[in-house]
Amino acid sequence: MGDSNGFGGEWIFAFLIIAVIFGWGGAGFGGGNANVAAYATMADVNAAINNQSTQQALSAIQLSSANNNYETSRLISDQNMTMMQQSNSDLINAIQGFNTVNGNISAGFATVNQNIADLGFKMEQCCCGIKTMLLENRLQDTQIALQQSQTANIVNASNQYLLSQLGSFVPTAGV
Amino acid sequence: MNPLMMLGQNSNNLMMQAFQSMMRGESPRDFLKGIAKTNPQMQGLDLDNLQSTAQALCDKNNINMQELASQISEFANSNK
Repeated sequence: MGDSNGFGGEWIFAFLIIAVIFGWGGAGFGGGNANVAAYATMADVNAAINNQSTQQALSAIQLSSANNNYETSRLISDQNMTMMQQSNSDLINAIQGFNTVNGNISAGFATVNQNIADLGFKMEQCCCGIKTMLLENRLQDTQIALQQSQTANIVNASNQYLLSQLGSFVPTAGV
Repeated sequence: MNPLMMLGQNSNNLMMQAFQSMMRGESPRDFLKGIAKTNPQMQGLDLDNLQSTAQALCDKNNINMQELASQISEFANSNK
């Protein structure tokens, strides 16, 4: 097999290497009917081993990724819960603040309403006083007029009496 | 298609080239080193020790080297 010229030499190993690496299939050598399936080369075996290592590494990465995703989701969930609690607390504080403001506004309006009511009462009192004064003035005027009328009546009666007394002496004095 | 089967489609051409190289009286080592330059799947093969390399390849692939050698010889002789 040390002969490099002829099939009995090392050429048979060269053919074996080619056959194993590149396959000994299809139409065979020179159109024959051989149909041996292709074989894996050392490189293919090494590639398969490397592929297995790669898949193991990938599985580890996927597991790590899944763990990271879970941890991330958990952190986000916790963060969301904290934010929701803070938000609720803020809303409660805001509502309480609004309630206080509303209470102050209501108290302010109550005071304003009271002041308006007082003002209305004072205005009514004032109006009543004015009316009273006007009535008193009218009464006074009426009394004056009555007094003047009474005085006139008295004077008139006196004059009639005097005329009637004079009529006995002057026939036309009582006409 | 199995990638190894696709590789197998190229074997006829290489086998024919090897056969012609052998007929020209060339060295099997030189031929293998020549095709190894354009076939990365041959990287790492010890082409200075063809017998042990062929044996190792057959062993790794659970191939009976004597049987395969007989098939190759049969076809080579029938195509001379």
